[in-house]
Amino acid sequence: MIARGADRSSHAISPLVWLAIITATCLSLFVFQKILWLVVPFLLALILYYLLAPPVHWLMLRGWSVAAASSLVMGSLVAGIVTAMVLGFPWLASHMIDWQALFSSYIHAGLQLVDRTLRMLESYWPVLADAEIAAKVSAQLNYWAANFADDQVAALVMGAGTWLPVLALVPFITFFQLRDGRRFKDFLSDAVPNAFFEKTLFLLNEVDRTTRAYFQGLMKLTVLDTVTLAAGLWLMGMPAPLALGFICAVFAWIPYVGSIAGGVLVVMVAATDFPSQPGMAYAAVALFIVVRLLDDFVYMPLTVGKSLHMHPLLTVVMIFVGGAIAGVPGLMLVLPMLGVFMVIGGTVGAIMYDPRLMARHRNARALRKRQASADLVEP
Amino acid sequence: MRFTFFRRSASKPYHERLRALSLFRDLSSKELDIVSDLLHEREYLEHEVLFDEGEEGHAIYIIVSGHVLICHNSDPKKNLIADLGPGSFFGELALLTNAPRATQARAGSNCKVLVFFRDDFNNLLHTHVVIASKIGINLARHVGVRLRESVVGRRVEQSL
Repeated sequence: MIARGADRSSHAISPLVWLAIITATCLSLFVFQKILWLVVPFLLALILYYLLAPPVHWLMLRGWSVAAASSLVMGSLVAGIVTAMVLGFPWLASHMIDWQALFSSYIHAGLQLVDRTLRMLESYWPVLADAEIAAKVSAQLNYWAANFADDQVAALVMGAGTWLPVLALVPFITFFQLRDGRRFKDFLSDAVPNAFFEKTLFLLNEVDRTTRAYFQGLMKLTVLDTVTLAAGLWLMGMPAPLALGFICAVFAWIPYVGSIAGGVLVVMVAATDFPSQPGMAYAAVALFIVVRLLDDFVYMPLTVGKSLHMHPLLTVVMIFVGGAIAGVPGLMLVLPMLGVFMVIGGTVGAIMYDPRLMARHRNARALRKRQASADLVEP
Repeated sequence: MRFTFFRRSASKPYHERLRALSLFRDLSSKELDIVSDLLHEREYLEHEVLFDEGEEGHAIYIIVSGHVLICHNSDPKKNLIADLGPGSFFGELALLTNAPRATQARAGSNCKVLVFFRDDFNNLLHTHVVIASKIGINLARHVGVRLRESVVGRRVEQSL
């Protein structure tokens, strides 16, 4: 029997391959940060693809061609979005001024809460009072809030104006992923030499499985976070618990930073709607800490972490590395990209270190060369 | 590499061959459409190894043209188990498990094969349960027949 090199399932990734995987992840994050306008639509299209693939398969089984099924599903979605926008725009426009006032009141109440909390801490610890922590922090925050409109709003509006046309690419990309995804995979696999064919197709399937599991895990995590937060906020007596829970769960897509932003949002709502009950804001903070712990130790291992099979230490370190390289997009992209590169690195490493596969490839090339020159006369 | 990515393939050239295989015999035309979209076509030259004994199996192979030799110890002259022709399939256990291949498959002549991957079969279990169930039942029957044949010492072969 031929001594086989290790197959992927039993192959331990060597330190050199690990280095290549982490380097490739970091380099890709760096490049993606530069072409974020292209990466974000592709990423959103990928999520949409995994959500819409089941109805397309359902139609195909009932006799529809893949092109017709993709057209119908995508067309229905676009029609639904356009209808919702046409119907919802007047309502949005009429509530815009109310929301602006509401936003200002939330910011104001949040600042007051921070000021009250710091002054309370100063009363317990004279060291803080001597340093005038409350006055300094409040002055900084008030300056930020007063200049928010000048500094941030214009940039946000300009950013939204730049991103909207790009986001229009999402349904377009999703449609072609649904219609031609299979042929793209065939196109890639056809380019692979016979000796590596099985392993490479296995690799492509693993990449597909990893990304699908990650995004499906993310959706499940969002549902779990929404339900847990909504239940907690409802028990506390907060207004619109489901909507707040959902917004915070979506924020949590950005590791760490998103969770903090969600927590700050709920604390601001509690401080505004219950100005005479500071205990509500502190209860909101406690709720967020509990949900954060549940997320890290129960929900994520069951959903996203399970899909990527990553060591928790590696996960945390890479999140910080992703944030350092590419900011918020890096925080969001680093785990799925690391998962994909782990699969690619593991399989390519297994092929390159498998002398039998390499020998078969050389043999196949020699056979092809001989066949191509079989009827040629020696010069 | 082919450059026909954006060209639609109008015909399903292997439908009749697939329908004649015991593995796919219970599938309707629409179901066969879905399965044939999952198959990969590969060409091998005479003497080229399709897979080795001991290698982790990921796919089943269906012969479209040419011959494939199934043997032990990489020696088709001394340890030939089967010489399979068009319409035969081999490596079917890979649809069920990633256990090591029990034999080597080597092209006996220039040949063309269709390859059906376990991951695609597993995906069918989620997306098209009926199709996957039909293939699974036929696969179990086929394995049972081969087991019985090996016990009584008959030659293992399936032809169209």
